[in-house]
Amino acid sequence: MEPVVRISNLVNRFGDNVVHDGLNLDVMPDETLGLVGGSGTGKSVLLRSILGLQKPTSGEITVLGQRIEYLKPGPTRHWGVLFQGGALLSGLTVQENVELPIALHSDMPLETRHELASLKLLMAGLSLSVADKYPSELSGGMRKRVSLARALALEPKILFLDEPTAGLDPIAATEFDKLVNYLQDNLDLTIMMITHDVDSLFGTCDRIAVLVDGNAIVGTIDEILEHDNEWIQSYFGVPRARRAASTGVRPDRA
Amino acid sequence: MENAYLQVEKHHDSLKVGLRNDWVFDNVSDLEEATASVVSSDGLPVIFQCGGLQDIDIAGAWVLYDRSQQLAELGIKSDFEGFKAEHFKFLRNIIDMAAIREFDEDLDDEPPPRPLHGSIERVGQNTLSAFEDIGFIARSILDGTRRPLTLILGETIKQVYETGVRAIPIVMIMSFLIGIVLAYQASAQLEQFGAKIFVVDLASISILREMGVLLAAVMVAGRSGSAFAAALGTMKLNEEIDALRVLGLNPNQILVVPRILGLVIALPMLTLFADVAGILGGALIAIGSLDIPTVQFVERVKYASDMNDLMVGLTKAPFFAFLIAVTGTLRGMQVEHSAEQLGRLTTTAVVQSIFLIIVADAYFTIIFTRLGI
Ligand SMILES: Nc1ncnc2c1ncn2[C@@H]1O[C@H](COP(=O)(O)OP(=O)(O)OP(=O)(O)O)[C@@H](O)[C@H]1O
Ligand SMILES: [Mg+2]
Repeated sequence: MEPVVRISNLVNRFGDNVVHDGLNLDVMPDETLGLVGGSGTGKSVLLRSILGLQKPTSGEITVLGQRIEYLKPGPTRHWGVLFQGGALLSGLTVQENVELPIALHSDMPLETRHELASLKLLMAGLSLSVADKYPSELSGGMRKRVSLARALALEPKILFLDEPTAGLDPIAATEFDKLVNYLQDNLDLTIMMITHDVDSLFGTCDRIAVLVDGNAIVGTIDEILEHDNEWIQSYFGVPRARRAASTGVRPDRA
Repeated sequence: MENAYLQVEKHHDSLKVGLRNDWVFDNVSDLEEATASVVSSDGLPVIFQCGGLQDIDIAGAWVLYDRSQQLAELGIKSDFEGFKAEHFKFLRNIIDMAAIREFDEDLDDEPPPRPLHGSIERVGQNTLSAFEDIGFIARSILDGTRRPLTLILGETIKQVYETGVRAIPIVMIMSFLIGIVLAYQASAQLEQFGAKIFVVDLASISILREMGVLLAAVMVAGRSGSAFAAALGTMKLNEEIDALRVLGLNPNQILVVPRILGLVIALPMLTLFADVAGILGGALIAIGSLDIPTVQFVERVKYASDMNDLMVGLTKAPFFAFLIAVTGTLRGMQVEHSAEQLGRLTTTAVVQSIFLIIVADAYFTIIFTRLGI
């Protein structure tokens, strides 16, 4: 199977600070890949490189078979991105935010566009009563859901999530995990998710990529838990993580 | 009857509609058209045979679902047959959502909006429209405009209005006052020599060549240079710029170019208004306080200054505008991490653009002097 995202020999250097040092990573179709790593290990830089928002020092990235070039349009019709802060356009209502990508990439009738956007809001777990609100009138959790609805607007093949549960209370975070699983099962999505949230990692991901020393250690949850890398040991060794591992694994994936 | 997406067969007890090819987002318009043609004239039930589908997604499944709902409203039963499991889940998803939606709508059977509510909303809209930076372009896209050129043109016109038309009153007031000050200062000196008519020369020439355009430019730097930096910087911080790129829009094209173009158009226009107001200020003192007759004042203005003086001022305007707009947008785009940096760069944008204007003005003066204009 062709990987959906293929990262080969990625190097990102800022002065003396080598963030990625020949990193290789493949994201396979229909999987949910969790990306973890300590603060400053380059998770955000990696995502920005994949999206063409950051010029890598060297290396090659392809998404859905298309080579990513800095600031050139990538596979814009086929990817969806949930930015960390939501990145909703503040001058537009919730409904308009979700409709914008559709309007941009399709000439479907207004009515249909409207209905599809509403559908995406519902799928993201929102009530349609928020449709006419402006982003500033919403809570952080709701903004993330709207942003997710927008990311789903174009029926993407791959979804990138940047710390989707950061800043949510545990109940809302668990809800969000459920939502991600639901979408993954129902929409034939490939998902790449940056997270610091161990619960969320065990609750949603098929494989985990850990960024250590500029490279990625990739494996299933079990493989990663067995790995003898020091950082991995201490990250997953903490009691919180252990508990998550014993309870949180998706029953259907275990 | 058949087309690329479906094939209709009439049986004695039903209308069989065989679906085929890709029922996906990209084909939605065609799918809508195709399904609209599925009518069962004699009330026979419609059976959608879904085994031949190549691919389906939520958008395609919605078209199918929507048609079956429309048929139901006409009293015609419809059914789905032969769905592959991996295709059916999309339809099931929509049916689930429709149920949630119904439940949702039952919950908040809101009373119709009260008038007060409406007016608050309008105030909110106005406040927002003052700040919204992508709103105008985004609305054009939502209205169906997708050609970049049309979008850029629309936004440019909006910028001319925001940075130019709306600045006319303040620029004119300032220039009028400076006209008064110039004439007054000059008259204090020149009256001693009994050369008070030269007050007109001094005021009109300095306003047309220097003060008009400088005042307008400094005002615009403070008013719009800072607004550009703050607007783009805020969008940068909110990752809105990144979100636009990921959607396939080029922020430089739709946000930066219209601002530069808009200002290059707006500033010469503002300069003209500043010139007129400045000379009126001078006239107030000359006619009102120095007792120069109006006719003589007008004659003297014509005699002392000519088209050249006006053009010298106007020629500088687009260059100044370019400096202000580029500095403002560039500093805005440089914002990366924090609100504190946003504030700092906004200030920097104003300070630097005013500095650049003065430097450029000095160069222009030298060049014009050399050329003897
Ligand atoms: N534009 C830049 N210029 C210089 N250094 C940068 C730049 N962007 C990122 N870095 C550096 O790259 C490293 C990785 O940053 P990154 O934001 O990717 O970390 P992260 O893994 O996302 O961390 P966190 O979990 O805290 O978000 C950091 O050391 C950061 O200082
Ligand atoms: Mg980060």
